[in-house]
Amino acid sequence: MTQVKVVYGMNFSPKPESALLIVGHGSTENPDSSTPYFDHAREIRERGVFGEVHCCFWKEEPSMREALYMIDADEIYVVPDFISEGYFTQEVIPRELELDGRTTKVHGKTIHYCDPVGIHPSMTSLILQRTAEVAPGVPQEDSTLFIVGHGTGLNKNSTKAIRDQVELIKTLPENNFAEVHDTYMEEPPFIADWGKMTKTKNAVVVPFFIADGLHSYQDIPMMLGFEKEEGLAASQKDVFRNNPYHLQDKVLHYSAAIGTEPMMADVILDLVSSFNTDHLSPA
Amino acid sequence: MSLNTTLQEALESGIDQIGQLRILKNHAEASFVLCHESDLEKVSANRLNDLSSHATPDAARELGLYTPEGEYRFTKGELTLPSGWVFLLESITDLRRTIDLFYPASLGLWNAWKNGTIRTQNLRDKLNRQTGMYRHSRNVSDDGAQHLVATLCGPANKCVKKILWQLDADTPLTDNEASRFDGILGEADESKAIPLVCQEACNFFVAQCRKQSKKEFEESQS
Repeated sequence: MTQVKVVYGMNFSPKPESALLIVGHGSTENPDSSTPYFDHAREIRERGVFGEVHCCFWKEEPSMREALYMIDADEIYVVPDFISEGYFTQEVIPRELELDGRTTKVHGKTIHYCDPVGIHPSMTSLILQRTAEVAPGVPQEDSTLFIVGHGTGLNKNSTKAIRDQVELIKTLPENNFAEVHDTYMEEPPFIADWGKMTKTKNAVVVPFFIADGLHSYQDIPMMLGFEKEEGLAASQKDVFRNNPYHLQDKVLHYSAAIGTEPMMADVILDLVSSFNTDHLSPA
Repeated sequence: MSLNTTLQEALESGIDQIGQLRILKNHAEASFVLCHESDLEKVSANRLNDLSSHATPDAARELGLYTPEGEYRFTKGELTLPSGWVFLLESITDLRRTIDLFYPASLGLWNAWKNGTIRTQNLRDKLNRQTGMYRHSRNVSDDGAQHLVATLCGPANKCVKKILWQLDADTPLTDNEASRFDGILGEADESKAIPLVCQEACNFFVAQCRKQSKKEFEESQS
């Protein structure tokens, strides 16, 4: 099987006078929800490429409004650690941080607003890398890959990032999956129908979420058919460590959320580099 | 002035507490020692054997994640910080980051409040800018909102921050333990402690306003 290694962010030009602010969703119910953001921040901090690295959240502390007070630097790069461009990246984050464009002067600080991680081109390779890790030695030619998103009738953009990934994967020479499908929890095509959609012996399922939370620990496993009911606290379930699952005469391999991938730190740095190239470099 | 310098000057002036944290200087084990207030006696006497010891800030997030009973502490101002640990730190940067993991943005908010540069937002303005599922929070009554402050905020409930906001420009919070709280635990004053301050209602409070407005609507229909 092709082993895809992503090397982004390694040639990042250090910004010792600037701060990086990673924005996440957070949760008042699931403490695991914000762990990946802190992991991404720590990884970047340890590389010493920013003067400061901080996280802030929609539903946890520090809030976006509070976060600016903890930053000394006058220049701040804001990276939404979100999967899709939609309600949060286009409405909530700009409103809370008082942004009116790509670069905004806010209360004496210059804030650069980068793209969300989910639309970065390297997410495609990260997905393939993850499939190789979760289903080692399983022939792609006899496997169907499912990328699972939330899906909502409220914002048509919310599924775009996942549809884009599927289309990109189909064009990659290193992709040998028999079929690749975008599926959703709350709109068709439903992940619950994976059995009907799988014509191969194997299925590989990758949740396209930043964090492992109720959706990846519990909701999707229930839709796939290997979790029956609520029992243990979500974070204590071993859903990612009991692969493979034998269901509906298929062999199913289930991955943790894509955002828990350590290489996400490189994706974040690459988004900052892209911002500089696309929006700050002289024409 | 950087927040590191602000914190350094605060420590030199005699400040040694924030929330449930105590900061010790000139300790035998490290330049800056941070511990839970209930472990102060042990740490002062350098009896650290039965405390988990940490030399870098990162463990602070996990230590502050659950109450001693195992409940998720999503509001960091809760009076439920577990004890039994000590941070032995060598730099003011690490001390600042550790404090910010226990009480996010607390030092910056305090500094801005002290300097008069903090931007507070009254509850009505905060609720009126909500969209999506939280837009209904704006329908909460004044009485309902005052009730939520009295029952969610303050040391007896979810948070030990000093509330800087009102309902609106003309409507202060009703006088009670929560609205009166000065953000400092125990007998210390601002010469000894950094107060925790709340510049605007948190997302949890907004979510409760939404629930309260739904309840009020249902009651009006019955």
